[in-house]
Amino acid sequence: MTEAAQSLIDALALGGLYALIAIGVTLIYTVMGMMNFAQGEFIMLPAYILYVLAGLPFAVAVGAALATGVAIAVLAERVAFRPVRDADLSAQLVTSLAVATILQNVVSATVDARAQSVATPALLSESSQVGSLSVPNLEILTLALTAIVLGGLGWLLYRTRIGLEMRAAAENFEMARLLGVRANRVIAIAFAISGALAAMVGVLLVMQTGQVSPTMGLTPVLVGFIAVVIGGFGRISGAVVGGLVLGALSSLLGAYLPDGLVPFRDAIVFSLPVAILIVRPQGLLGAATGEARV
Amino acid sequence: MSGRGLRSPASTAISALVPLVLVVLTAALGASGTPSFEDTVAMVLCNLIIVLGLQVFIGNSGVYSFGQLGFAATGAYLAALLTIPAAFTALQTPELPNLIAAAQLSPLLSVLIAAVASGILAAVVGWPLMRTSTLAIPISTFAFLIVVYNVLANWDPITGGSSGLVSIPRTTSVTSAAIWAAVAVVVAIAFKWSASGYRLQATREGEVAARSIGIGVTRERLIAFTISGTLCGIGGALEVHQSGVLSPDTFYFAASVTTLTMLVVGGARSVLGAVVGTLAVATVNELLRNLEEGAHLLGPISIGETPGLAAIGLGLILLLTMVALPQGLTGGREAGEVEPVRRRLRSRFPSTSPAAPPPGRARPRSARGAAGGLRAEGISLAFSGLHVLREVELALPPGEALGLIGPNGAGKTTLVNILSGFQAPESGSVLLDGEEVTGWSPARLTRSGVGRTFQAGLPFAGLTVVESVAVGAMGVGIGRGRAVDIAVDVLERLGLGEEAQSPAGLQPPGNQRLLGIARALATGPRYLLLDEPAAGLNDEECRELVAILHGVIEDFGCAVLLIEHDMNVVMDLCSRVQVLDDGETVAVGSPEEVQADPAVVEAYLGTSYAVGAHA
Repeated sequence: MTEAAQSLIDALALGGLYALIAIGVTLIYTVMGMMNFAQGEFIMLPAYILYVLAGLPFAVAVGAALATGVAIAVLAERVAFRPVRDADLSAQLVTSLAVATILQNVVSATVDARAQSVATPALLSESSQVGSLSVPNLEILTLALTAIVLGGLGWLLYRTRIGLEMRAAAENFEMARLLGVRANRVIAIAFAISGALAAMVGVLLVMQTGQVSPTMGLTPVLVGFIAVVIGGFGRISGAVVGGLVLGALSSLLGAYLPDGLVPFRDAIVFSLPVAILIVRPQGLLGAATGEARV
Repeated sequence: MSGRGLRSPASTAISALVPLVLVVLTAALGASGTPSFEDTVAMVLCNLIIVLGLQVFIGNSGVYSFGQLGFAATGAYLAALLTIPAAFTALQTPELPNLIAAAQLSPLLSVLIAAVASGILAAVVGWPLMRTSTLAIPISTFAFLIVVYNVLANWDPITGGSSGLVSIPRTTSVTSAAIWAAVAVVVAIAFKWSASGYRLQATREGEVAARSIGIGVTRERLIAFTISGTLCGIGGALEVHQSGVLSPDTFYFAASVTTLTMLVVGGARSVLGAVVGTLAVATVNELLRNLEEGAHLLGPISIGETPGLAAIGLGLILLLTMVALPQGLTGGREAGEVEPVRRRLRSRFPSTSPAAPPPGRARPRSARGAAGGLRAEGISLAFSGLHVLREVELALPPGEALGLIGPNGAGKTTLVNILSGFQAPESGSVLLDGEEVTGWSPARLTRSGVGRTFQAGLPFAGLTVVESVAVGAMGVGIGRGRAVDIAVDVLERLGLGEEAQSPAGLQPPGNQRLLGIARALATGPRYLLLDEPAAGLNDEECRELVAILHGVIEDFGCAVLLIEHDMNVVMDLCSRVQVLDDGETVAVGSPEEVQADPAVVEAYLGTSYAVGAHA
């Protein structure tokens, strides 16, 4: 019983982390129709800020990491993605791949191509006693952040003017534009939020693994993409469901897979979308698959 | 000037020969250099094979796959394991099945086996992946790449794990790499110009329009995906026989970005682009790699050892290409294709109505004969609670011209979508010559004789006029040669013969309308559904369109369902008219009866048109 509850909390925490990644991917997709490969680098760069600012108080470093996430996302939008805003989705995808490659290798060239270890605050590597369970503080933090982000996004999207504009843009971008939604502002804000989410994920990943590397964003971005595919494109709810499903699966496989197969966990997890797409080509919740309609 | 083919013989020859000559020149350059330069060039040629593999799928389908390097990895590992001497195999991969471990095949045989195995893997993996959407394919193929990496890096006893394999026989020379690259060029260009290649290009230009001419999008993508996987497997196998070492990283993310950059920089749509892009990017890449090791530039400027510099350069090149030159250095054209000239937008409607066709012309599949016609029975449909169609009946007997009119939002286009398979009704059925065809795919319906056009036209903008019509015939399974004959014939009858070689996307609006009709006619429809063919045409063009449509009905013998707002067109062409209003049939009858019907007057004519103006 205890063990099952423990597994459940582990699964939820990982699912929450994946959901945060997927929401970041989805936000940009909804306002711009772009699957952003560079989301992984929006995660990686803030993580490196923790490494670079290792001597400073942890809170300062985290604040700087969040600021970096926002800044790099907004900058990438302005410099690289705005010129291809009207291009087809393949062209946008390749453009974001180029941005990802550049950012990754700038870090390789300026810091190091190899992984670096980062000290994490002791508090986060300890566990708290919850009833009969011992829950790692990091998982509590992850779950709390996921809840806060979901609540905050709900408030932003449904209670504010900019949220209304974002939803309108997601529904029909051209129409929203005609009705006076300022495209540049809505997209920039979506990127800023997405960058902040990515930075949070970056910080959580560093706390989890204790290290940073230039390619550390690769697996998370794929996780985000697949969560979005599983959940159905272009819906925050789909991203959350997809993230939770993927996180839970990954976590449970880690716990219950026979020893010999554990190294192949990623292979099994990443084969999942194929299995789901065979049964439901439109995703679990999906209606909008990006498929052309008459 | 339209000629008998899709392009002139000279253009064909130049397009095929230039990439081959580039391959030969590259090989000659390599052979004349130092041994290490020769190795580099051989490697570039191996890379070219992989890039050509990417071109076959990405260039023709317009859909990006990030997984093709997974097939290169598969081919490479297989070729390596099949050729590593048994003594070394025992050390590196102790649990390899004896059959493979003991094998020490000739390199050529290992490449062939790698090709077959990668092709089979691509077909198996592609079967589910190609069923997903244009947006999901890049992601799921990327997932496939990571799965392959994960397996290769962790299956130590079989693959050598993350430390990889060594002692692989180095047998790929510049010459053998060049021969294989030339084969790959021929395969890529032959595929592009095959009926299957054209069908796939049509899906790239417009998925909906492609389905309307009988093309199974999933099937065509899977064919190209399989050929692409095979070429990538060959490239990977040859590359590992060049370098002699292999690790899971060899064909992973960085290699994916490099090969994709090569393709995009050259221009993904053309085989020439794959060749030019590979050579250009490989050259820049080599220069940057030399800089990575540190170099002394002009005067006091020097740089230290900077890993990642080459990759940054590649990323910047890729970014700049996407922003400034999305079709790449070649503009996506083959060597024999000239840049289209933007001419004055002038409609090419024939000044006189087309004459009756001389006998004995190529004619698409059989016309009349089958009894029953195309029928809709009790069709109902609602979108989120709003009724779009309610219990609608429609009958289009063979050879008849039926007008379908009604105010905007009456449900006319939805009904055509249901009849052509693009939309499933909630209740009711569609019958084709007495057979229940409800729920059939658009492609299957088209192959069974139901063709359609679209209000928006949906031209295959990137194809030439003759290609975009010929692909209609190819869509229903007619071979390339005959498809071209049909296209030329249809175009001449519609007065577009002179435009055959110009790009479909640059045609003026009037021609776009005709082109949509020509494309549908090339599928040999017995029932042709026309969705507002006269929209946006001026009076004179309208009259000409009517004359052409008269000719179509007589020459091709197909029944026509005509949605049209212009009453002149309807009254002139149709022997019977059905009026829809708010999803229900208000009236059916001869044009005169319908115009006199008070319900129709109230629903439609009374609001927009003066009664009797056209009587």
